[in-house]
Amino acid sequence: MKALLALAATVAIAAPAMAQQRIPVGHLMDNSGATSDVGVPYGQGVADTLAWVNQTRQGVGGRQLNVLGFDYGYQAPRAVSQYQAWTGRERVVAIQGWGTADTEALVRFVNRDRIPFISGSYSAALTDAGGKSGRAGVEASPYNFFFGPSYSDALRGMLRWAADDWKAKGQAGRPKYVHMGGNHPYPNSPKEAGEAMARELGFDVVPAIQFALAPGDYTAQCLTLKQQGVNYAYLGNTAGSNISVLRACQAAGVQVQFMGNVWGMDENAMKAAGTAANGVVFPVRTQVVTGQDAPGMETIRAISRISDPSGNTYRPVHYMAGACAAMLMVEAMDTAAANGGQVTGERIQKAFYERTNWVPRGFEGVCTPSTFTADDHRGTMRVAIYRAVVTGDTAQGSVGDLIRAGTMRLEPVTTVELERKRELLGW
Amino acid sequence: MAVLAPTGDFRTSYRADTTIFPTLGSRAALWAGLAVLCFAPLVLDRYFLGLLINVGTLSIAALGLNILVGFSGQISIGHAAFFGLGAFASAWLHERFGIPVLLCIPIAGVMTAVVGLVFGAPAARLKGLYLAIATLAAQFILEDFFARAQWFTGGVSGRITESPVIGGFAFDREESYFYLVLAFVVVMFVAAANLMRTRDGRALVAVRDHYLSAEIMGINLAYYRTLSFGIASFYAGIGGALYAHHLLFVSVEAFNILFSIQFLGMVIIGGLGSIMGSLMGAAFMVALPEVVQSGADAIAGGALDRMLKIGGNISFLREMAIGAAIILFLIFEPDGLARRWKLIKAYWKLYPYSH
Repeated sequence: MKALLALAATVAIAAPAMAQQRIPVGHLMDNSGATSDVGVPYGQGVADTLAWVNQTRQGVGGRQLNVLGFDYGYQAPRAVSQYQAWTGRERVVAIQGWGTADTEALVRFVNRDRIPFISGSYSAALTDAGGKSGRAGVEASPYNFFFGPSYSDALRGMLRWAADDWKAKGQAGRPKYVHMGGNHPYPNSPKEAGEAMARELGFDVVPAIQFALAPGDYTAQCLTLKQQGVNYAYLGNTAGSNISVLRACQAAGVQVQFMGNVWGMDENAMKAAGTAANGVVFPVRTQVVTGQDAPGMETIRAISRISDPSGNTYRPVHYMAGACAAMLMVEAMDTAAANGGQVTGERIQKAFYERTNWVPRGFEGVCTPSTFTADDHRGTMRVAIYRAVVTGDTAQGSVGDLIRAGTMRLEPVTTVELERKRELLGW
Repeated sequence: MAVLAPTGDFRTSYRADTTIFPTLGSRAALWAGLAVLCFAPLVLDRYFLGLLINVGTLSIAALGLNILVGFSGQISIGHAAFFGLGAFASAWLHERFGIPVLLCIPIAGVMTAVVGLVFGAPAARLKGLYLAIATLAAQFILEDFFARAQWFTGGVSGRITESPVIGGFAFDREESYFYLVLAFVVVMFVAAANLMRTRDGRALVAVRDHYLSAEIMGINLAYYRTLSFGIASFYAGIGGALYAHHLLFVSVEAFNILFSIQFLGMVIIGGLGSIMGSLMGAAFMVALPEVVQSGADAIAGGALDRMLKIGGNISFLREMAIGAAIILFLIFEPDGLARRWKLIKAYWKLYPYSH
C-alpha cells in the first residue's frame, strides 16, 4: 500500500514537470451522444493525426503535443464546463471541437481567452470572423475555424446541382424542395439559407419536416414527403438517424432525391442502410475518398496505422476530414513556433491567415485547399458532390470488403464552385 | 442514530434540544471550516474552484430535493426541469428587463417555486409511483417548453448569460464567484436547518412518517405536500440560477431526465433526511466523474488499456461509475454519507471504548 502511495505521489509530482514541456491541446469528441455515429470516425482521425505528428514530427517546434481528449456526449453544457476546466487547469492553446450547439456557445469564451477552436461544426454563423455581417445572432468569431464548406454553402452547392439535375432529366414544372432534420442548432443551421437559395433557383419550398437526431421510426415523415410530392429533400441530421429515414422511405416506396448534409452520409451509413442509401448525394470535404489515389494518401495510410497497425481498417470520409482539420491546426502551430516563437492561441490564430489555397504538407491531393482571411473564415467555397451507390445486399462483410467487392461505392457527381459573396457571409 | 451528545449533557429547555450544532466542538469546526473555505480561492486553482462552485450550486438544489424526498417522504423525478427553469428564468429576467443579476437569482427562485406549486398540485392526492409519474410529466412538459419557447430560453440554441455585477465589481471569475456561491450555500442551508425546527418542518416530517397519524393530529396533508414541492422548487431555482451565471451559458440539453436521476442519486448517496448529507452527496457526484476521468486518462494508452482493449470505450467508464456508485450505496450504505460521517465521528469520540 505504501509503495503504491509513493508511486502515486511520484507520478503526481512528475506529471506536471513533463506536461510543462508538452503543448496542451484540447480535443472534444462525441463518442457516445446523438452524433457519435460520425463523431467516432472524425474524432479518431483527429486523434490519430495528432499522435502521428508526435511520433513522426516530434510534435510542434520540437515539443510534443499533450492531446487532452474528452467525450462530451453531444451535450453543450458539458463541453462548456470542460472548456473551463481546460482553460483553468491545463491552459490549452488550441482546441479541436465538434458540435454546432457547443461551438456556438463557446464563441464568446474562445474570443475572450484567445484560443483557436477548430470545430466539427461547419455552421455558417462561425464564418463571420470580423462580425461585420450584422446578422441577428451572429457574433464576431475570429478564433473559430473549420475544414470544409459551411453547411449553408454545401447545401447551396447541392441545390445548384439539383436545379441542373431537374433540367437534365427533362422534367416539367417546378421541383419541390424540403428541409428535414431535428430541432437542434446543427440541422437548423443551414435551413433558412437553403430555403432562400431554393426559392431563388425556382424550387417550390415545402414546410420543413422534423425528425429526431436519434434513430427511430420515421414512416410518418416519409408519407408526408410522398403526400406533398417532394422531389428533393435535404437530410440535416447525421448518418444514424438519416438511415432510419432512408429505410422507412424505401419501405413506403417514396421516390425522392435525398441530399445529405456533410455529416449525413458515409460508408458506414451506406452499409447500414443498404440499398435504401442508393442514390443519396452528399458533399465530401476531401479531394479523394479511401480507395482512390493521390500523393497524400500515403500519409493518410501512415496515420491510419497509428490506431490500426494491420492497416486493413477502411477509413470513412469523416476520418480523412478529421485528419485535414487536425493538420490545419498543427501547421498553424508550426508557423507560430517558427523562429523560436511562442505557441500561443493568438499566434496560432494569426498563422491561419499566412497561407492561401492551403494544403497541409504531405496531404497533397487529399485535403481541399483552404484560405482564411481576417474577415472571412469560409475556408473553401468548393462543394464536391458524391453519390452513394449501393448495388446489393450489404448485410455481410465489412465496409472495406463491400467497397472492394463493388457492392458499395462513392461516385463523384460534380464539383460546384460557389462565388464568395460578401452578403452571404455568416449565413 | 441519535445525535451524539456528551454524557451528562441534559437538556433543560426545548431551545437547547433543537439547537443545530449541539456541541462546542461542532460549532468551532463549523466556523473553522468556513474560514478555511474563505481562503480557498487564494490557494486552489480555477479548476478546483470550478468544482467547488458546482458542488455549491448542485447541493442547494439537492437540498431542495432532500426536503421533498427525505423530509416529506414524497418523490420527484423532475427536479432537473425546475433547476433548468431557475437557470432560464434568471437569464431571461436579466436580459429582458435588465434586472441586476444578483436580484434575478432570488426572483428566479420565486418564479420556480410558483411553477413548482402548480406541478406539485397532484401531490395533494397522489402518492408513491403515481406521484413519480406525475412529476415525470413535469420533467417532459418543462423540457419541451424550454426547447420551443424561443422568447424565454433562446430555443434549442440556448442562451448566453451574464456574470453578476455589484457596484462595478463583477463576479466573473471562479475566485470571486466562489464567495457568492458560498454565501448562498450558507444562507440556504441555515434556512433549511431552521425550517426543520419549526412547526411546518415538523409537520413535513410527520407527514412522511405516517400520513394518517399526521392528519389525525390536525396537519393539513394536501397543504404540506404541496408546500414541500414549492420549497423544493425554490431551492432548485436558486441552484439553477447560480449555475446559469457561473457557466455563462444555459441550454435545454442539460436539464434532461438523467440529470433529475442524478439529483436523486445525490440525495440517496448523501443521506435521505439529512441537511449536511445533501452537501456531501453533491460533492460526491461532482467528484466521482472527475476521479473516474483522471483514472481513465491515466490508463488510456497504457498496458492495461491495450490488454483489456478498452480504447474508445474508456469514456463510458464515467457513466457506468455513477450507476455503480448508486447501487453500491443502496446495498452497503443505504443511509448515505451522512450516516457514515456520524459513524466516523463516533469512532473517534468513543475511542478506545467503542463497545
